Amino acid sequence: MRHSKLLLALVASTSSLLAVQTASAQDGPAANLATITADTLLNPADGDWLMWRRTYDGWGYSPLDQINQDNVGDLRLEWSWGMSAGGTQQTPIVYDGVMFLQNSDHTIQALDATNGQLIWQYEHDLPDGVNPAGERAMAIWGDTLIVATRDSHVLAIDFRTGELVWDTVIADYTMRYANSSGPIVANGVVVQGTTGCGQAQPGGCFFTGLDAATGAILWKVNTIAQGDDPNTNTWNGVPVENRFGGSAWIPGSYDPVQNLIFAGTGQIYPWNAEMAGLVPRSADPNLSNEALYTNSTLALDPTTGEMKWYHQYLPTDSLDLDYVYERILVDLEVDGVMRQTVVTTGKLGIIEVLDRVSGDFLWARETVPQNVVLSWDPDTGVKTINPEVMPVIGQTTFNCPADPGGRAWQATSYSPRTGALYLPTVEFCSNTTVQPLDPGQAYTGGGRQTYARVPVPDSDGNIGQVRAINLTDQSEMWQYRQRAPVTTSTLPTGGGLVFVGTLDRRLLAFNDETGELLWESPALINALESFPITYEVDGRQYVAVGASFGNGLGRLISLTPEVRRPPTNPVAMFVFALPE
Amino acid sequence: MPSITTPLRRAAPLVLLALAALAAIVAPRPAASQEPEFFDVPWAYNQWMFGRPMDMSTLRYCVDTREPDWEVAAAIADTIARGLLLESQRYVVDTPVTVADDITRIYAIMLEHCDLHMGFKLIPEGYDTWVTLTDAYYVSQYVYVSANPDVRQLGDVPRDRPIGATIGTSGHLGLLTYLRTAGTGQRWPIFPMANDDLALQALLNGTVDVALVWAPTLWAKQRSDPAYAALHAIQPNPVQPTSLGVGAILLADQIFLRAAVDEAIAALKADGTFGEILEFYGFPATALP
Repeated sequence: MRHSKLLLALVASTSSLLAVQTASAQDGPAANLATITADTLLNPADGDWLMWRRTYDGWGYSPLDQINQDNVGDLRLEWSWGMSAGGTQQTPIVYDGVMFLQNSDHTIQALDATNGQLIWQYEHDLPDGVNPAGERAMAIWGDTLIVATRDSHVLAIDFRTGELVWDTVIADYTMRYANSSGPIVANGVVVQGTTGCGQAQPGGCFFTGLDAATGAILWKVNTIAQGDDPNTNTWNGVPVENRFGGSAWIPGSYDPVQNLIFAGTGQIYPWNAEMAGLVPRSADPNLSNEALYTNSTLALDPTTGEMKWYHQYLPTDSLDLDYVYERILVDLEVDGVMRQTVVTTGKLGIIEVLDRVSGDFLWARETVPQNVVLSWDPDTGVKTINPEVMPVIGQTTFNCPADPGGRAWQATSYSPRTGALYLPTVEFCSNTTVQPLDPGQAYTGGGRQTYARVPVPDSDGNIGQVRAINLTDQSEMWQYRQRAPVTTSTLPTGGGLVFVGTLDRRLLAFNDETGELLWESPALINALESFPITYEVDGRQYVAVGASFGNGLGRLISLTPEVRRPPTNPVAMFVFALPE
Repeated sequence: MPSITTPLRRAAPLVLLALAALAAIVAPRPAASQEPEFFDVPWAYNQWMFGRPMDMSTLRYCVDTREPDWEVAAAIADTIARGLLLESQRYVVDTPVTVADDITRIYAIMLEHCDLHMGFKLIPEGYDTWVTLTDAYYVSQYVYVSANPDVRQLGDVPRDRPIGATIGTSGHLGLLTYLRTAGTGQRWPIFPMANDDLALQALLNGTVDVALVWAPTLWAKQRSDPAYAALHAIQPNPVQPTSLGVGAILLADQIFLRAAVDEAIAALKADGTFGEILEFYGFPATALP
């Protein structure tokens, strides 16, 4: 499918997997990279971005302050790099002056982070029938870059040379198992979540723990309760081979003190709970229908895979309202007591805070307009769901928000400078209709209901927002509103800035305390649906953002038809810096 | 593969259609309309490298070996091509991937290999704007299948015994709609099955008492595997039967070709040609005008 790329090869391995090195690889900035240790990841250099959200606590915050409120207006494009066609939502890794990129087709590249020059390239060939749709994240450990692929491989690539070190298959892609996000490496274990567990995969998804040095599979943890797990009775009597969903499609966070990974899970498949056999609820008193462990935080020991605790946010979900996103680990004062918390926000846009030692619910706060949750128990967080929004076969119901959510995979972030959580949000509603899934026997409709997206009633027409919520007193510090959806993660920095990208192709920078818009880029090559990062090389700070239509909040383009995208859907990396 | 000769004799009235089909294949495509969204957005690797087919005398069609009717669909497509005085060019999709929940995968296949992709049910509002469907070339239905020879209708099955229904099909939705009106204690437990094959396997191994599957799947299984021989379709009552037409999809801009194919389908149903094909295969469907 990509044979033309072979023309680029200067050095090929003897396998079908191909490592390509440029002539300068042996002498370039990658050649002298130091081995990554546990301490490197626990205490990363300020100038590096070594994992999906930069640090184990998932903050997505950089302490770099060379680019700040006073000079951000001078920010300008330093270099750019064209990437393989195909939507990708990827986050670069930057280590000691080298940027690692994963293209949509799993072409892995090492670039000189100061000028975008290619150092080496590795290609993983996808089999026919698997979409080249990229990955959101990668990891780095030892001497290797660790990447996951859409055909359910996990690869370790020598980050100095681009040569394959190990390649482990963790699931059968022919059953539609896939990886859409890369792993997190904790305590020497690669923890990788599996997604795509919509229909052909009885029993749902799972997390896999692999030895970071060898790729050997150490453990698997199912995201759907089964076997002798007492929570297997939460599926309304539906046998395990008839349970679907619980996709694990976002990397977790890691608490090294407890040696626990906190990772999220998605909803049931198909999205409609009646189709899934969960409603009406069985009269058997020994059965319930919460469908554990969908829409939950799982606290997993990365060494053994043992689940220490779980908390389910939205049982019996019938609207595709995942709670799979980032977990932010931050110590907060709650009712006068400092608590070690884990903070997440599901598609409903409700910020929910748990004690990450006990798993106990602490508090929650709404952000975007929503009509799904009527209330929640302040002690347990158990929600009362509005029955009028539950999809009914043969009817059209109205819910706010709908898929892809009041927030989607674009991560929220936390700044220790302000104590604020910065959320990229969107406001919209949906006329929702249950749709048959059987257009063809082989081609199904996935988990779909038809979401005819409409603005929120009495909307001011602004679909996109950035919200800054103080996590100590839960107050809203500021809110920025604009017409086009906000479509990247937020990036707060030590320079008192919050960067975010938009569907209408601009990168914006705000004052982190006031929300004042301080800078905006020219319109770039495509929508910005990705995870912007910042890094420093030789004393100079850079801000990088991927331009790509990544099928996330970009779906809301139907609400802003005046926002046009380039028909060829180009993908590129843009890097900004202050003038030298 | 049988020799279906009668369509050639009967194709004469379709000569005018053939001219229209030729025109359709070479016709310029209209500009894209409103920007679609999400699954509406088809994408294929290097999609800009695929231009208009240069061979204007062929009807390129795809069949997928994962579809139980693919051989029947191929015979129908060959007949349509002959009716339009075009040479048929078949592309057989053969992939190890079990199911594809993203129908946009077909876009890449169609760009490269075919104008018609056979085997899609006519579900109202079931398709996004980048595809269009032909008229149905046959109508089949979802069937309740039992392994118990004494069970003749669904109503005979005790209400505490499970039904395995392939997830989210129109038949499954019809059953769920019926069950909503049934009182407590009158509802069969429904086990959602990943696909028809697993539903029928569950029936064979006793996990469920009844399987709700697309009739052509049962036909294909019984044709290829004696283990399924004893299974039989039962009457659906008290649930209403669910029937669906099956046609082919085209890219939405193939307006003229669709019109020509639709006219061919209508003519070949009316003169009994499609009925003869279905009868030849013993296929559980009808092809009435």
